Amino acid sequence: MISAIRFIDQLSAWFGKAFAWCIMVMTIGISFEVFSRYLFGAPTSWAFDLSYMMYGALFMMGGAYALSRDAHVRGDFLYRLWSPRTQARVEMVLYFIFFFPGVLALIFAGWKYAERSIRFTEVSVMSPAGMPIFQFKVIIVAAGVLLFLQGIAQVMRCIVCIRTGEWLQQQEDIEELEDQILRQAHEMGLGGSAGSSTQDITESIVDDAERHNRRG
Amino acid sequence: MTDPQIAIAMLAIFILTIFLGFPVAFTLMAIAVIFGYYAYFDPSRQWRSYDRLAENPDAGSFELTIEFLGGFFNNRIFDLFVNQTYSVMSNDVLTAIPLFLFMGYIVERANIVTRLFDTLYVSAKRLPGAMAVAALATCALFATATGIIGAVVTLMGMLALPSMLRARYDVSFASGVICAGGCLGILIPPSIMLIVYAATSNVSIVQLYAGALLPGFMLAGLYMVYVVGRAAIQPGLAPKPPQEETDDLSAGKVALMLLTSFFPLAVLILSVLGAILFGLATPSEAASIGALGGLLLAVAYRSLTWDRLRESVYLTMRTSAMVCWMFVGSWTFASVFSYLGGEDLIKEFVLSLDMTPLQFLIMAQVIIFILGWPLEWSEIIIIFVPIFLPLLPFFEIDPLFFGILIALNLQTSFLTPPMAMAAYYLKGVAPPGVELAQIFKGVMPFLVLIMIAMVMVYNFPGIYQWLPTQIYG
Repeated sequence: MISAIRFIDQLSAWFGKAFAWCIMVMTIGISFEVFSRYLFGAPTSWAFDLSYMMYGALFMMGGAYALSRDAHVRGDFLYRLWSPRTQARVEMVLYFIFFFPGVLALIFAGWKYAERSIRFTEVSVMSPAGMPIFQFKVIIVAAGVLLFLQGIAQVMRCIVCIRTGEWLQQQEDIEELEDQILRQAHEMGLGGSAGSSTQDITESIVDDAERHNRRG
Repeated sequence: MTDPQIAIAMLAIFILTIFLGFPVAFTLMAIAVIFGYYAYFDPSRQWRSYDRLAENPDAGSFELTIEFLGGFFNNRIFDLFVNQTYSVMSNDVLTAIPLFLFMGYIVERANIVTRLFDTLYVSAKRLPGAMAVAALATCALFATATGIIGAVVTLMGMLALPSMLRARYDVSFASGVICAGGCLGILIPPSIMLIVYAATSNVSIVQLYAGALLPGFMLAGLYMVYVVGRAAIQPGLAPKPPQEETDDLSAGKVALMLLTSFFPLAVLILSVLGAILFGLATPSEAASIGALGGLLLAVAYRSLTWDRLRESVYLTMRTSAMVCWMFVGSWTFASVFSYLGGEDLIKEFVLSLDMTPLQFLIMAQVIIFILGWPLEWSEIIIIFVPIFLPLLPFFEIDPLFFGILIALNLQTSFLTPPMAMAAYYLKGVAPPGVELAQIFKGVMPFLVLIMIAMVMVYNFPGIYQWLPTQIYG
């Protein structure tokens, strides 16, 4: 079961991270539009379509990955007080009531929607470039399927937790800067001597802080 | 049960589920679909094709069964759901969110905080409480550029707090400055919170930025006045450094330091803002330029590594997914809720209370303030603020003004227990001996200043109206 969880996690992470690079395409594409408009007086006909397609693909495909990393917002002020077993029991029930119906509806309705669009090989009406848009609507289905698979993995996580009494350890991954620093600070015993760290960024920040402290 | 009562039940179930700690975005989606299925249930539409087939004598029972079962999926809620999803995906206001997040993550990793704090400290040396002034200014500027509070507070907690404590600053005073300063980023444009509010309320994001700019500066100014004033009156809180340490750097050196640390970041923020306010670029365009500028800044500070870029890209995706999926659920939820008549019921109820606009405003802000204790700003803006928005016209309250009050108000949600993220972050990195109670004590005066700012914005509408009317007439 654990290997199945890991496999789905990796699948979600792979898709999420692949689509994450849309942000670079978006940054460069839109910046090009601005430069082209002001420096060469030649606005592009594709930048607007590009911007929302990249944005939509980015966040839709990131949904499952965010779920696997527990990054979705939750009001967890009560939840965090419970034992892991209780958390898992409640969560498993909630997945069946409050997760799968919505996601299944998304897949089903998204498919009807995308299928119609594919049949017409629909293009965007927002700009004269006539960018094809049907592939963008397929994203809804793809994101739904990924979420569905991730939901199964999350339920398996709950089952593992109910059996063992503790949550499955997350595999190493990117962290927010504040989490890196907090971990670092914790390892240092809150402001003690610097421990060895693999993250060069935290090291450099701590180094900076120490250098500054010596001076100040 | 009548439909509006069912709408209220829908809201109640939703709030209950939030308290159970299930991810909000999916709860919204599922409740919207389940209740929407009921709301849009229409038997004649549901089995229309079945009925047509049933009239045909040649129809086999297999086809009939398929058509009968297929009827269950013939509910308008599915069309509504997918249309709302698609309108979130193609919303041209929300496109700015990942771009501003990306800019923030890049700037956050550009090793700029140390430089900034050093420079501002040297420049502010003559002022009482110079180090606190520098810390506040660094927090404000950095938070404005990144829009993310956690990073600012932890970075400054590692950097400025130990320095201030070594200079024998009062623990509460020093930590209050860092916590409050770090939260300014959600108010001062270009703030991500305001984009989310704009997408929720349909107020133009450009107007909202123009309106929030002066209140943001005003709050930062109030903080500054408080820090300088308190340090001047009670020098014990922020003692001046011994004489021999203060007289070294020449004016030229200070200017050079400012030029390499303060100005690049300030120019980045101002050009992004200026482009938006003067209509040279849409917020998304300005945000892309900002992200590109952030990348250049990071290159200039020799801090752009492949790992950091990758980290920023992935974090952008994760945080965008977190915010935007909530919109997918919330827009569908809101449509179903108002279709069932829940919105009208709330409207009637509130109007029957016969409140004056001021009373309504105070009630709304108190509710948002209290929601800020357990919930995060994103949940409050995307889910709870839409309940108030339809009521605003009855009390003749400008949604722009309401948004600015909320942005001021939500500063407190990071500072008040039980979910005082800013205080917890600071506690997590503070040297041993700094207690959470001391941090809260230091934050208290800033809460009062936030209240004062809200009252001032209410009493002097010019503070938020002046800039938009200057620019847009």
